[in-house]
Amino acid sequence: MSSPILSAQHISKYYGSGHTKVRAVDDVSLDIQPGELVLIMGPSGSGKTTLLSMLGGLLKPSQGAIEIEGIDIAQLKEAELPNIRALKIGFIFQTFNLLDALTVEENILFPSQLRIEKAGQARQRADELIQQLKLERRRFSLPQTLSGGEKQRVAIARALINEPKLILADEPTGNLDSQTGQEVMMILHDIARDHGYAVIMVTHDPRVEDIADRIMWLEDGALRDRKSETHKWVHDPVCGMRIDEWKANIKYEYKDERYVFCSERCKQRFEKNPMEYVSIKK
Amino acid sequence: MFQWAWKSLFKQPGNLTGSALGIAFAFILVIFFDAVWQGESEQVVAYPENIKPDIWVMQSGVGNMHMAMSFVWDWKADKIASMPGVKQVTPILYLNNVITAGDTKMFAFIVGLLPDAQRAGPWSMSAGRQLENSGEVIIPDVLSGLTGVGIGDQLRITDRDFTVVGLSSGTYSSANTVLFVPFKDLEDILSSTGTYSYLLVDVDEGIDAKALAAQIRNEVEKVNALPHDEFIKNDFSLARQMGVEIIVMMTAICSVLAALIVAFTSYSLVMRKRQEIAIIKALGVTNRLIFYSVMLQTGLVTLYGFIISVVFALFIIPYIPLLVPQLTLIVSLESLLQLGMIAFIVAISGALLPTHMVLRLDPATAFHV
Repeated sequence: MSSPILSAQHISKYYGSGHTKVRAVDDVSLDIQPGELVLIMGPSGSGKTTLLSMLGGLLKPSQGAIEIEGIDIAQLKEAELPNIRALKIGFIFQTFNLLDALTVEENILFPSQLRIEKAGQARQRADELIQQLKLERRRFSLPQTLSGGEKQRVAIARALINEPKLILADEPTGNLDSQTGQEVMMILHDIARDHGYAVIMVTHDPRVEDIADRIMWLEDGALRDRKSETHKWVHDPVCGMRIDEWKANIKYEYKDERYVFCSERCKQRFEKNPMEYVSIKK
Repeated sequence: MFQWAWKSLFKQPGNLTGSALGIAFAFILVIFFDAVWQGESEQVVAYPENIKPDIWVMQSGVGNMHMAMSFVWDWKADKIASMPGVKQVTPILYLNNVITAGDTKMFAFIVGLLPDAQRAGPWSMSAGRQLENSGEVIIPDVLSGLTGVGIGDQLRITDRDFTVVGLSSGTYSSANTVLFVPFKDLEDILSSTGTYSYLLVDVDEGIDAKALAAQIRNEVEKVNALPHDEFIKNDFSLARQMGVEIIVMMTAICSVLAALIVAFTSYSLVMRKRQEIAIIKALGVTNRLIFYSVMLQTGLVTLYGFIISVVFALFIIPYIPLLVPQLTLIVSLESLLQLGMIAFIVAISGALLPTHMVLRLDPATAFHV
């Protein structure tokens, strides 16, 4: 097994002291390998965002160690953290958090200005990402003119521009409709599977569970056993993602059988060669 | 990073222009007060500057004209006139006093002219004629416009009434209005005979005025003699000293006002961009870069305000005296450069609080909306 991209050992975050002491995150340990997609789930107020902030070097833990590619960021000085965030971590936010005054291309290139490299290299990567994420026609648009899905694709491209090994996503589908959310999910899934990025995603969205390599349940600041849930699910025959059949919008009839898909992308793949997928159970 | 700073500043041009106009307003006040001060200072010395003899002779211990009093015996004028190199000596009497024109009382400098001393009289007439008889006065045209006292009307100096026979131009300022009356009348007002206030000495061609002035000081007892440039310098510096405290205070107040506007503008800018600043911090931008960006934005807003105020100074201020003739306004390059320095200091000091806020901003707030 390769060494983990991220290793957090016994990390805790406390606020206040004495009787008013609150444990936002309590003795959490986790290792994330390259190519893994890990979900952190849990009820509201369980400490998910606090944990993600600590893993991203935005918040110092009260206790414990967080190593990213072998560097213990909990021991670094405040002034050293921006460099780690810029080069080793890609952030994806629920509200996209694009910079209003900059175009799509400028937003994507923004973090690359923090990296010392030859002129033109970042632009070349940006071109590739714009193409991969189907943003060619939006290259010079301002964020306010984009749809939610487009904004999140720009945010993903921005997170990837410096080629960090670790992607942290906070509710990336939280502000998207069901179909767009599933498309974004698939992009993140492909990033991990095809490109070897480690993706940690905080989410409430149960549809993502089946494409995740691991699910961690956080409750009262600590990792706990997952509570059982009762859902009626079917599976996307292409990617295998679990989908609520009653809410699924993308459907296709093939040989008197109805199939549902997480996204248009999966449906298109299916249409090209249904025989490749029909053996997968609905 | 600086691209973001630049573009986010110009994203809302209305806000930017509003802020720049606020700053420009404070700077315009600084320029305006300075222009008034410069104009008044120049106008205070308008009489000696325009009469411009080669040498001024006055009572020993006196070195200027503005707010001064001087007595020189008439025989000393004769003695100086006989000195080699002296071309002409023109004596004048001079009094600082309050005059009454219509319902208006104001401070004025009254110059008494001998009948053959037109050389010391008004250098530019806009209406009427020169003095010919006793009881006549030439007043500034601006004073006539302000008080309604025109040619043929009466004007009181101390306890005597004079008839206006001429209007002169370039002889009015709020601090120093110059009136011309016959020598004998002013002598009568002063109850003095055989004395002059100042002697205006013109020298022969090729004569060094500075050397001749020194010779007069040596050879004529109890007089001071100064070349014109030195005399004007004394008068001008005295005039400036009289207003310098007020103008420094006004400049300081306006500069503080400008700094407050800049600080408020910068503060509003940071508050509006708080979320974005948290995002760029989360993305890995250092505090130092953010600090420079906010300083750049503040500097640009201040520069914008500065440019507006300079445009106003160069294209609007010169036309104000056409509407308000009692004002003499002078905008000098020196004062604009001085304002540039003030603007720079204002920009730096105005940005301190907002940049401090930026540095304390928690990048983790990028996750909380």
